[in-house]
Amino acid sequence: MTKDGVQGAVEEADQAPSKKGLKKQQKEAEKVAKKAEKQAKLAADQHSTDDDDFAKDRYGVPPMVQSQQKLDRGLVRVQELTPEKAGRLIWVRARIHTSRAKGKQCFLVLRQQQFNVQALVAVGERASKQMVKFAANINKESIVDVEAVVRKVEQKIESCSQQDVELHIERIFVISQAEPRLPLQLEDCVRPEGEGDEDGRATVNQDTRLDNRVIDLRTTTSQAIFRLQSGVCQLFRDTLTNKGFVEIQTPKIISAASEGGANVFTVSYFKTSAYLAQSPQLYKQMCICADFDKVFCVGPVFRAEDSNTHRHLTEFVGLDIELTFNYHYHEVIESITDTMVQIFKGLGDKFQTEIQTVGKQYPSEKFKFLEPTLRLEYREGVAMLREAGVEMGDEEDLSTPNEKLLGRLVKEKYDTDFYVLDKYPLAVRPFYTMPDPNDKKYSNSYDMFMRGEEILSGAQRIHDAQLLTERAIYHNIDLEKIKSYIDAFRYGAPPHGGGGIGLERVCMLYLGLHNVRQTSMFPRDPKRLTP
Amino acid sequence: MPMYQVKPVFGVDVKINLPTCMYKLQNIHAQGSASGCSEHALQNGGTEVDPAFRDLEARQDEIMRRLYELKAAVDGLAKTVTTPDADLDQTVTSLSQSPTAFRGTADLDSLLGKDLGALRDIVINANPARPPLTLLVLHAMLCHRYRVLSSVHVHSSLSGVPAQLLSCLGPRHTDSYVRQSFQLGFTLIWKDVPKLQMKFSIQNMCPIEGEANVARFLFRLIAPYPSDPTLATLVDSWVDTAFFQLAEGSAKERSAVLSALNSALGRDPWLAGPEFSLADIACYCCVLQTGPASSSPANVQRWLKACENLGHFGPAHPLLQ
Repeated sequence: MTKDGVQGAVEEADQAPSKKGLKKQQKEAEKVAKKAEKQAKLAADQHSTDDDDFAKDRYGVPPMVQSQQKLDRGLVRVQELTPEKAGRLIWVRARIHTSRAKGKQCFLVLRQQQFNVQALVAVGERASKQMVKFAANINKESIVDVEAVVRKVEQKIESCSQQDVELHIERIFVISQAEPRLPLQLEDCVRPEGEGDEDGRATVNQDTRLDNRVIDLRTTTSQAIFRLQSGVCQLFRDTLTNKGFVEIQTPKIISAASEGGANVFTVSYFKTSAYLAQSPQLYKQMCICADFDKVFCVGPVFRAEDSNTHRHLTEFVGLDIELTFNYHYHEVIESITDTMVQIFKGLGDKFQTEIQTVGKQYPSEKFKFLEPTLRLEYREGVAMLREAGVEMGDEEDLSTPNEKLLGRLVKEKYDTDFYVLDKYPLAVRPFYTMPDPNDKKYSNSYDMFMRGEEILSGAQRIHDAQLLTERAIYHNIDLEKIKSYIDAFRYGAPPHGGGGIGLERVCMLYLGLHNVRQTSMFPRDPKRLTP
Repeated sequence: MPMYQVKPVFGVDVKINLPTCMYKLQNIHAQGSASGCSEHALQNGGTEVDPAFRDLEARQDEIMRRLYELKAAVDGLAKTVTTPDADLDQTVTSLSQSPTAFRGTADLDSLLGKDLGALRDIVINANPARPPLTLLVLHAMLCHRYRVLSSVHVHSSLSGVPAQLLSCLGPRHTDSYVRQSFQLGFTLIWKDVPKLQMKFSIQNMCPIEGEANVARFLFRLIAPYPSDPTLATLVDSWVDTAFFQLAEGSAKERSAVLSALNSALGRDPWLAGPEFSLADIACYCCVLQTGPASSSPANVQRWLKACENLGHFGPAHPLLQ
């Protein structure tokens, strides 16, 4: 308005910055003061820590183990830490599962595969405050070497596998440090599904697990599952070898699709292309024609099926059997079912702990079976389904829901999770299946089921080149493509039959799990190629 | 003791075994040859022997054969005299099947429901600690009436079972690989169950528990219960007594039952009156399971022997030892 007013404003403007400025200055001064205080404190602390750290050489991060020296030090397994070792000074290498600091003490849980033990660092004559702090700050999952005294505890430590002892740490070194932020937490991995929802704590979903498989496989459940799987393979080999079988290896790069053209992977093979084997069928049979009598083979099987289901993988391990018989293909069925029963018995005998461990996270009913194995005919299965209200034709194949229903009906009546369904209709089987001699509608083929899901498809194979050619023509298969297959039977072939099972599926069904990816270490399906 | 003796004129089938010959007669038919034994001469001279002698020989053979037949008939009669008359008796007619009123699939359809084109399988879960002898006996009787596919399995709840329990249903049928050619299936599963259990049709039937009830079910597939309600109830009451008081009762209860049996058998040849019935089968098995035959009262022992003469209880014997 007037010059005065403006001047007043200017004056005020002049004064305001100075007020603001004062405030700013004050704040800055305070900040500086605080900083100085902090620094002084830190310095004081460090000074004090440097002064008081008598235990400096009893902890730390040593240089990376590059085989600098060969120490003759024995490391004790966590599994063996029992009250008998009380009072002994031992070295242990394990992972830090959890750590919890409380004032002058730090509680650690050290884990080695399925076993874990409680360990304690306490300020005292062997450990300093800085050591306790260091121990509390080691990242989870880091691998540490620990020298400790084993001490008995009065009260059992419920949360650990070694419940009667704890370790009193005297020295602790970090051999391999883990990153501070883990993509997933192990406790979350092991938590059973229902429990997580109730407490509001997380359970990890499958995709995350599979993306970080290395960490997920460290859990007790995964360790148990894959040890059991190794047991299945082992028992399969042992049982068959004892029966006089010979293990063979068959080629996986083949020139023609064995089962059907659609579900096969193509690979470029120099100037032409080749296929990845869908099953060792052709080669098993060729071995039989080559007089090996009884063969089995364990190897990968590749199926390019675009099925995203709980039980399909594009690559899995196939356990295949083929054997000659004397007069009736039931000899083959008896041999295969006896092998399966021996495997189940062996798993029940030797892997009880693993089964219980898996049961903690994925509870399921115990697997039951009969010896000798129950064998029902396809007609009986259809009759049972019809009695239950399902409408189906005599020669119709069983759909997956029908298979599951039939499994439940059989379980209800005979109380077995494993049975054989014999005499399938010829129309739904591959061209090399031997037809039934008395009834043209049926064939000498069979399927075996575990917990209502199919695990094995097998049959008596046609061993006569003439009949084989006829059946191939009937199925509109190009004879040129299977010429070498038919040739194998032209020079005397014994009557034979067999079948193949999938290792992952058998494990999944034995343990009562619900997804085959849980039993495959690095699963392959239409959407997953890594890790 | 033979009924009558005939002095042998000359040995019928005798070879040249001097010691076995009772007495020698001079060969009246020797053709004057002094060489060799008189028996050789007889052989040589056999071709020129008077056919009259051959007729005599033949008559001798005929008489001996009829002798043996009579002996067998008398043995049979002796058994039937000691064994009261029984409908299901099979020893008198030995190999042939007893002609009962009805047989075949027609009655199975009426008893068990329409045939759905599959084997009608009766599943029995039993504990090997208490083998169901009554059911084994009934199984043998079923096999006489129908074509039965029998199989024995061991459930995974048990680690092992003695060998005789695996073969308790007899040898495997030669046609057992063709399940559909059988009328009835009998699957016995040895399992760790507290009580014996039977399952037949999952949709229409709940499981049947208890050996007594399963025995009643199986018996009705073989022969009907007596039509007279009092007799039928008597049979049922004896069956219950057998399984509850005899097999599972205390020593006092058992001796009470044995004396009741003794008095009942004093009046009638069989437990349920004049006819052999399920009551007799059940009580026989339970009595012998509790103790040997010799330790039972007199009437009971006589009745036990009569039961054995009928020949149905073969399957139970190996398991009673």
